[in-house]
Amino acid sequence: MLKALIFLPVAGALVVAVFPVRRALLLWQIAMFFALGALGYSLWLAAHFDPAGPAIQMFESRAWNARLGSYFALGVDGISLAMLLLTALLTLIAVLVSRRMEAGARLYFTLVLLLESAIFGVFTARDWSLFYVFWEATLLPLFFLIDRLGGPNRQRAALNFFLYTLGGSVFMLVALLFLYDAAPGHSFAMADMAEGGRSLPLQTQLLIFAGFFIGFGVKMPVFPLHGWLPLAHVEAPSPVSILLSGVLLKMGAYGLIRAAETLPAALLAAQDWLALLAFISLLYGGILAWRQQDLKAMIAYSSISHMGIVLLGIATLNVTGLTGAVMQMVAHGLTAGLLFLIVGLLYQRTHSRDLADYGSLLGKAPRFAFFAAFALLAAIGLPGSAGFIAELHALVGGFGRWGGWILIVCLGMLIAAAYSLRVIGRLCLPGAPMQLADMTRTESAAAALLALSILTLGLWPTPLLDLVAGSVGQLARLFGG
Amino acid sequence: MINLIAHLADWVWLVPALPLFALIVIGSRVLLGRATGDAAEPLTASLASLAALGGFLLLLGIDGMALWHGSVPGHRVSGIWFASGHWQGTISFLLDGLSLSVSTLTALIGWLVIRFSAHYIHREAGFHRFFIVLCLFLAGIQLVLLAGNGLLAFVGWEMCGVASFLLIGYTWQRPVATGNALFAFVTNRGGDAGFLLALGFAAAWLGSFEWPAITAAKQISVADMRLIALGFMLAALAKSAQLPFTPWITRALEGPTPSSAIFYGAIMVHAGVYLLLRLEPLLVQVPDVMIGLVVVGTLTAAYAWLCGLVQTDVKSALIFATVFQVALMFVEIGLGWTTLATAHLCLHAAWRTWQFLLAPSWLALTRGRPAPPPAWLRRNQLLYTAAQQHFWLDKLGHALLVQPTESFAHDLRRLEEHFLDHAIGEPGRGQPIDPKSPLIRADGLPGRVLAASANALQQIENRLLLRGRGGMAEQLLRRIGSYLQTLENLLEQPRYLMMAVMATFVVIL
Repeated sequence: MLKALIFLPVAGALVVAVFPVRRALLLWQIAMFFALGALGYSLWLAAHFDPAGPAIQMFESRAWNARLGSYFALGVDGISLAMLLLTALLTLIAVLVSRRMEAGARLYFTLVLLLESAIFGVFTARDWSLFYVFWEATLLPLFFLIDRLGGPNRQRAALNFFLYTLGGSVFMLVALLFLYDAAPGHSFAMADMAEGGRSLPLQTQLLIFAGFFIGFGVKMPVFPLHGWLPLAHVEAPSPVSILLSGVLLKMGAYGLIRAAETLPAALLAAQDWLALLAFISLLYGGILAWRQQDLKAMIAYSSISHMGIVLLGIATLNVTGLTGAVMQMVAHGLTAGLLFLIVGLLYQRTHSRDLADYGSLLGKAPRFAFFAAFALLAAIGLPGSAGFIAELHALVGGFGRWGGWILIVCLGMLIAAAYSLRVIGRLCLPGAPMQLADMTRTESAAAALLALSILTLGLWPTPLLDLVAGSVGQLARLFGG
Repeated sequence: MINLIAHLADWVWLVPALPLFALIVIGSRVLLGRATGDAAEPLTASLASLAALGGFLLLLGIDGMALWHGSVPGHRVSGIWFASGHWQGTISFLLDGLSLSVSTLTALIGWLVIRFSAHYIHREAGFHRFFIVLCLFLAGIQLVLLAGNGLLAFVGWEMCGVASFLLIGYTWQRPVATGNALFAFVTNRGGDAGFLLALGFAAAWLGSFEWPAITAAKQISVADMRLIALGFMLAALAKSAQLPFTPWITRALEGPTPSSAIFYGAIMVHAGVYLLLRLEPLLVQVPDVMIGLVVVGTLTAAYAWLCGLVQTDVKSALIFATVFQVALMFVEIGLGWTTLATAHLCLHAAWRTWQFLLAPSWLALTRGRPAPPPAWLRRNQLLYTAAQQHFWLDKLGHALLVQPTESFAHDLRRLEEHFLDHAIGEPGRGQPIDPKSPLIRADGLPGRVLAASANALQQIENRLLLRGRGGMAEQLLRRIGSYLQTLENLLEQPRYLMMAVMATFVVIL
């Protein structure tokens, strides 16, 4: 079942790549068809998932390289299913808003679909070698997307991104090989490796975890390893920014959760250090976001700040905090997606990302004004938005572990409010007006889809909480929480 | 049917709920723009009067049942409003002889006044507003009278206060009316503080807000009991316009006559008396508070009598007469004659309503001049002036309370303007922290801290990112690159190449 999900976008990419048409609109329609198909299929999978059932469902495995002990093993749990849904939704959005793309449409749609397939692979792989292959496979489409279709600084940004992530994944590979070596049975299957990893002495576990952490921390990104992110986010074409911050960053957090399953003792030992890094990321990203006048750079830095909350939630290692981390992954995916969507559309019209070049959108472009205000308020985590549920969980979970230190999160939120409200004040409140064509129907539909998801999860988070509850509970049990 | 009648007392919550319902209907009609013109008036008036009549009939039914059975329903809990730990705010009603008699009379008076107002307010600009506020008041006062606990009574108490404020300021276009409304409201808030304080003490020491628990407080010391009683007494004095709170009631007559009748003639002014009657078992245990009541009542009576003697207009004379009678009730309660006070309350309320409603027609009804102040008062110059000036209570209050508060507020405002505003900062103000980004501004201390840290972090970021011009990593790379370049150039020259080859041979050999 999951194989079909992974290869559906590949088929779409092939069709888009070879279909003999010249008009970009037709290509868009084909890509839309496959993106919709992927979303529909993942929804169908979610409907067949039993939250109260076994941890890994829809599991399928066949030997890939029997001599090395690697398997083509796929399976989902609650956390990865939530990520699958997020990926399918955001890919659909990324395709939906590219309707007017003319130059490079074929390349773009092909690469986006390939990227979707690779991300699906990352979230469903139940074998570390397969995971690594898909992990690296996401790099190639992204590299070309940024390098070929990005902004003026695209080449440097693409290279920077590629080197950073590749450098990170080298550490991950070394850690994997260590683990492979240490684990009995010499198998790459996640379950086997987890069993082997848990029995390792603490020192070895910590060493292996450090390798994992560098690999995943680059992607997430965590404070000293985030150098690629501002550049890549700013230079990438806007729909790619949606995927980049909406889904790609979540791969890092997801990998960290999987690593936590494998090396629980290391996580317990490093818990406080992870929290420290989370706090630093949170403040660092927030303060730098406040410092930016470039809209895209501001959102990019705010992503670092928000991913800090994810790391904090993971570091708590208790049910509430981990639930908060997963919720924040989904919530930030939706919110950052919406923000990049709005900013991308604005950039498309004005060719400027500088806030100073914008005026009040009221009256001239009311839909822009509404969605911009909505997205920024949702990014602060206002009650009623999905971010509120997530941040509250992370706060409550973290308070149980670190007490008053959790106030730093509140400080981060305060700073987030400062920069968000500055933009709202400029764009969505009365002031010097600017001429701007309002959002088209397709664009409004895309934005409305995201806004509706944010609102639904904010007001009625139970379905998602139920979906992830089983997996999170099992994870927390490893740490006695 | 019989069953329904037997459980009539369970429906007592309808008495305050019906006017509230009428309020909502009238209010939504106004909001929807349906309530305009003459045609809309009868519906509004009949809705309000139906609600009042419904409450009255229900109370009559409960009275009849009580008389039939020879026993009152007593304290009954209809539901829990909120609960937190062992604290409970319940929706409970206390139906005894006192509350049933007073509230039945109140419902009757309310109904009659509404009927009267339908004609009196006809075609006035605020017709619907008047009925909305009147309904609010009826709901509030019935809550005060029927509530089985202090919390619910306080809700009604506040509803009455707000309704009174709104009706004094009925003609809000006139500054005098709004000023008087504010004066009355603020003075009443003084009493509310006492009410809240007493409720807080009761909650802390008795763990309950229910009247029976408060009045039967045996387990606490007399000093604590005295504090609770004093709090309620303060509330009662303010609501019933006893000294030193009397000045508000003379200003309260700004409202339309029917509202004056129901608020200050008949019902609301007696709310304080009622509260003390309700708390009689508690008061009996603290004789010194009772003595205080007698003293305050006597002083107020003397004050109202003297002032009343020199009044020249109908409403003012009536209001001083009212205050005089209410003061007598306080004296009666202070002396322990509560049955007399209850009877006095009911009779006085009925009589005074009639008088107030008649007040506008007084000129037409009376022939000849009103009696002048008695000769002994005219001869005593000082007393006469004092009575005329209401013993300067207004001015005293202004000098002792209003002026100090005003100047204190003025000082605080200056502190805020000159110091706090600058320290905290305002959004969108201040200096840009970087000439390239003029929109990033920081003001105040937190803003400066944020700006400084942002600048520092940006520098780190520029170095980390390899993109800042002259970043350390970039410089290092460039230097190594240039070394390698030189080496490469050197190696390309034949002589160095030869040397390298020879060196290799030497090493091999």
